[in-house]
Order: sequence, then C-alpha cells, then structure tokens
Amino acid sequence: MAASGSAGRKGFWERLQRIDRRWIYLVIWLVVMVPLIKPFPIKPVASPPVQQMFSYIDSMPEDKALIISVDYSPDTQAELHPMTLALLRHAFATDRRVGLVATTVYGLGLGEDALREVKREFDSVATRHEDSVISGEDFIFWGWTTPLLTMMLGMGERITNVFPVDYYGARTESLPMTRHVKNYNDVGILVSVAGSSMPISWVAYAQTQFGLRIGCGTTAVSAADYYTYLNSGQFTGMLAGMRGAAEYEQLTREKMDRLGMTWRVRNRGTEAMSSQTAAHIAIILFIVVGNIGYFATRRRKS
Amino acid sequence: MKRKLPLIIVLVTGIFGVLTYIIPHPIIQDTDAVFRNDILRVIGAFSIVLGIGSILRHHFIKIKRKAEHWGYSWITVVALFVSAIIGLFGGIDPTRPGLLPTQVGGFSFHIQSLFTGLIVPLGSTMFALLAFFMASAAYRAFRARNLEATLLLVSAFILMLGAVPLTRMIVRELPSFAEWILAVPNTAAKRGIGFGISLGILATSLKIILGIERGWLGGGE
Repeated sequence: MAASGSAGRKGFWERLQRIDRRWIYLVIWLVVMVPLIKPFPIKPVASPPVQQMFSYIDSMPEDKALIISVDYSPDTQAELHPMTLALLRHAFATDRRVGLVATTVYGLGLGEDALREVKREFDSVATRHEDSVISGEDFIFWGWTTPLLTMMLGMGERITNVFPVDYYGARTESLPMTRHVKNYNDVGILVSVAGSSMPISWVAYAQTQFGLRIGCGTTAVSAADYYTYLNSGQFTGMLAGMRGAAEYEQLTREKMDRLGMTWRVRNRGTEAMSSQTAAHIAIILFIVVGNIGYFATRRRKS
Repeated sequence: MKRKLPLIIVLVTGIFGVLTYIIPHPIIQDTDAVFRNDILRVIGAFSIVLGIGSILRHHFIKIKRKAEHWGYSWITVVALFVSAIIGLFGGIDPTRPGLLPTQVGGFSFHIQSLFTGLIVPLGSTMFALLAFFMASAAYRAFRARNLEATLLLVSAFILMLGAVPLTRMIVRELPSFAEWILAVPNTAAKRGIGFGISLGILATSLKIILGIERGWLGGGE
C-alpha cells in the first residue's frame, strides 16, 4: 500500500513538472481577462520617482513648456500610452504649453492618437475658447525627422530649423506657441516615453549639451536599467511600467479634482492594475508550485 | 583606394567630432553645425532609400526563387506600396484630405486609420504573447537550484509583488523594499556593467577611428 502510494505521489509530482503548457496559457488568459471585464478596485499610491516627476511638472515656471517625446511603438503601447495620456491631461489641466515629438515613425501615429483623445476630453467640456485645447496655441505636434542626432542637438538651437512644418503641415514659424517656445531654454522638462534606450540618448545630447531636464517613462522590464540615471539626478523622475502609469493617473486625477475638473476620463493604466495584480500573483504561484515539484522529485531521486 | 577612402573619411570625421567638444572657435563650430544639420540629413535620406531598396530586393529574390513562405513576401511588398501611396497622397486624417480620396462611405483608410487598425493590434498582439511564454518559462525553468538562483528568485518575488498596489494592503513596506532593491543593489551592479560597456565602446571607437578595427568595411583584408 505504502509503495503504491509513494509511486502515485511520485507520478503526481513528475506529471506536475511536465504539465502541458497550454494549461498555463489558459490560466494566464483567464487571470488577465476576468479582471479586465470585472476589475477589483485598486487605488495606486505614488512611488518616489513618479511623485518627483509629477511635482516638478506641477511646480515648474508657467512660461516653461513640457515636451513629450513619443519614443515607443505599438508593441509597448499598453504600458506606455497611458503615461502619454496622463502627462497630456496634467499639462493641459495646469495650462502648460506642450510640444510633442517622435523619434520613431511609429511614434507619429501614437502621438496623434493621444493628442486627439485628450483634446476631445477637454474640448467636450470647454465653455469658452481658453478652456479648449488648440493646436499651435496650447500644443505643437512637431512630428518626426531624421537623423536623431540632428534633431536632438538642433532643437537646442532653434526648433523651427529642425521642424519647419508641424505634423499637420502648418508652418511652425507662424504658430503662436513658437513665440514662446524657441529652443530648450523655453522648456521646463522633456519626458521621453520609450520602450527602448532613447531616454539615455536624450540625456547624452539634450541634457549634457544644453542642460535640459529629462524625465523618463519606461516599460517595467527596462526600469532597472534607468535607476542609475534616476539616482544621479540625470532623470528628474521616472514612470516605470503599468504601475508608474497608474500612479501618475492617480496624481493627475486628484489634481484635476482639486481644480474642479471632475469629468470622467478613462484611466487605462489604473484599469489594467487588476489584471496585472492577478497575473503577477498567478506567475508567483506557478513558480512556487514548480519549485515544490522540483524539490519533491529531487528528494525522491536522491 | 576602395578601402583607403572610407578609412580616411572615418579618421578625419572621427577626429573632427572629438575636436568640436574641445575647440570653441567659430570655424570648427560652424563646420560642425553644417555636418550635423545638413550633411547628416542627406546621409539619413539616402539610408531610407537604401533601406527600401534592400527590403524590396530581399523579397523579390524570395518570390523569384519561390523560397519558403514566399507568398508572404507579396503581402510585404504590396503593403509597402499601398501604405506609401496612402501616406504620401491620401492625407494623414479625414479632416485634412490629401490628393487621393481615402474614404468610401463610412470606411476610412487614411494613414492614421491604417496605423490604428493594423499596426497597433499586430504589434500589441506580438508583445502580449510574451506574457504567456514568460509564465510558461517561469514555471519550467525558474528553480532555486543554488544560493544565487534562490536570491534571484526571492528578489523577483519581491519586485513582482512590489509592482502591484494590492500588496501594500498586506505588507505596507513591501513596495518601499522593492524600490530599495532597484535603487541600491541593482544600481550598484548596473553602474559596474555600465562602466565596462562604456570603456568597451570607447576602445572600439578609437580602434575604428584609427583604422585598427575594419570589420565595418565588410570583413577580410
């Protein structure tokens, strides 16, 4: 009896080690999908790097612009796009001038998508001209140009030389915002939202040469690489992964509530936190079960 | 001369690139500005032509030789031309029409709708698949086989739990501890690696400028 029980247990652990990967895929699919359909409420609390970025943008001089560099592509959109949206909302809610630039062709479509969404949110509740968000006055979407080095260094001298026309084909020299934002001297901070090492290039060229402040929005897996820059002060703040996006959304929402802007917007980073929480816990459980199986099998073999 | 000319260009431009950081004289700085703002742009434009030429050549050869999955090459080539024509002549969004019409009834196919309707879902799907592979790989391979692997495992647990707000309700200090792991031990290791990489880049750059490293010429003597 004892021998057959032992053999049964041994079989169980070994079978567990060789579980069909499709079962794992099914579990992951469920733990991601179910909380997306029926999320459980989570209130993100800002971590120090996110708080640093928010506080700086919130308190920078009024005449200084915020530049968002859309340096990501659709593959990392889920994590990074909510950051761009939250940054735009924060900037427009506090009447900051915003410049958008893309270092990849993919960034053009994503930048346009983000601008259109946030512009629609603000315009739908605007009752007067000053409350609406107007291209050329409140923001300029400069677009994309090549090569990178020319763009990053050239914008420090004169932005209109690098971008004679904006993304929509308007002469940048003729846009009202250009009178206030000529080069990096008129910029409070540039936030590079990137799934690559682009924030480091901004540090190397725009910060080292012109002293421009750089912030960074990055995927969770890349965040570990950037803590060196954050600790040295080269990054003024950092939003890391979906969690960073959710935390910035929370701070922006609180700020907008304080300003009386109580309209409802979709905070996609916060919405996705339920799924991320469930997925992380599922992966941890998988690893624990896998290790229990590994040790049980090894003990029997030894 | 075929090999010497590129080496001379690299030597001269490489040394000049360094000098611009040392000599503030207008002659050097103005020449640098011309290089950066004009010459680099022209080279960049040619690189796009080369890139398009290269992708077309690659796929036409596959189609000609009927190589494996050659049918997909047609899709690539057709997609390249169609999106280029729409992008160049069709306008970027419905409110600013271009030379060609990009709307049939309620169906819009300007460049932004192509992007949001095709590129975004395709790219997002590819990346989303990673979550499934990562979960499967973690289950099969992430084992506490020795001390180092155990440390890695424990750190991964803390970071994963620290990345979700729910854990703050269970262990209040966990997110701060996860932040500490990233800010202190991680930074220490990254700085060491960073110094090594930077020294390597410096050495390789010097070797290329001085013509010692010639692999970029296509290999061989």
